[in-house]
Amino acid sequence: MQINLEEMGGISVFRVSGDIDINSSPDVKKSFDKAINAKKNKVVINLKDVGYVDSSGLATLVEIFKNLRSLGGKLKLTNLSGKVKGLFEITKLDKLFDILPEEKDAIASF
Amino acid sequence: MRTKIDNDSHLLKEISKQLIARLKETGVEEDIIFDIHVGFEEALRNAMIHGNQNDPSKKVTVGYDLTDKSVTISVEDEGKGFDPEMLPDPTRQENLLKESGRGVYMMKHLMDDVTYENGGRKVVMVKHFDRKHR
Repeated sequence: MQINLEEMGGISVFRVSGDIDINSSPDVKKSFDKAINAKKNKVVINLKDVGYVDSSGLATLVEIFKNLRSLGGKLKLTNLSGKVKGLFEITKLDKLFDILPEEKDAIASF
Repeated sequence: MRTKIDNDSHLLKEISKQLIARLKETGVEEDIIFDIHVGFEEALRNAMIHGNQNDPSKKVTVGYDLTDKSVTISVEDEGKGFDPEMLPDPTRQENLLKESGRGVYMMKHLMDDVTYENGGRKVVMVKHFDRKHR
């Protein structure tokens, strides 16, 4: 699992590749905790290269969502594969997260 | 296939990889493999974390029977057991922000049949290769 961070006009764009699962979730959480603060609280997570997410991965994204909300920020998820998006739909997390098709859509929506 | 593994999340991934490789060899569709992948790992994760409480002295017994039409998977822990009917619905509005409680729900929705035995210590799941959920 790899995470690449790009700052784009006050928006932090995280591009994740690999699985977000029981083994990688703690590292994902650490990377976000390090990069997010009250001034950097507009976040896009691009999941284009994430082929697999388990319940611990979903829990980590919920934690990031809650942390950002407590900082007055916002989180947008983009480029989910059909199957990964299906997991958000099954668990109704698609009602909690702002999920957009493309990274540019998310950036424009802030 | 039937084996006993240590309570270790890296072994969880190993045994999951083996099953996925077998499913690919059998020619199972990618979308169905994804569902089995998630369902199997959630069952293993529940057994290790919630069943065996991350106790390294405890084991997880894993088995699967693969045919060209379906796979039947069993995962059994050495914990105290649980009643799956008593788990809160993670999709209710008041539970959406909770960080746990989705694994059993996901298994139920991704697999065709999920039953619990031995007081909840053992889960048996079936996935048919000719059916699609979504």
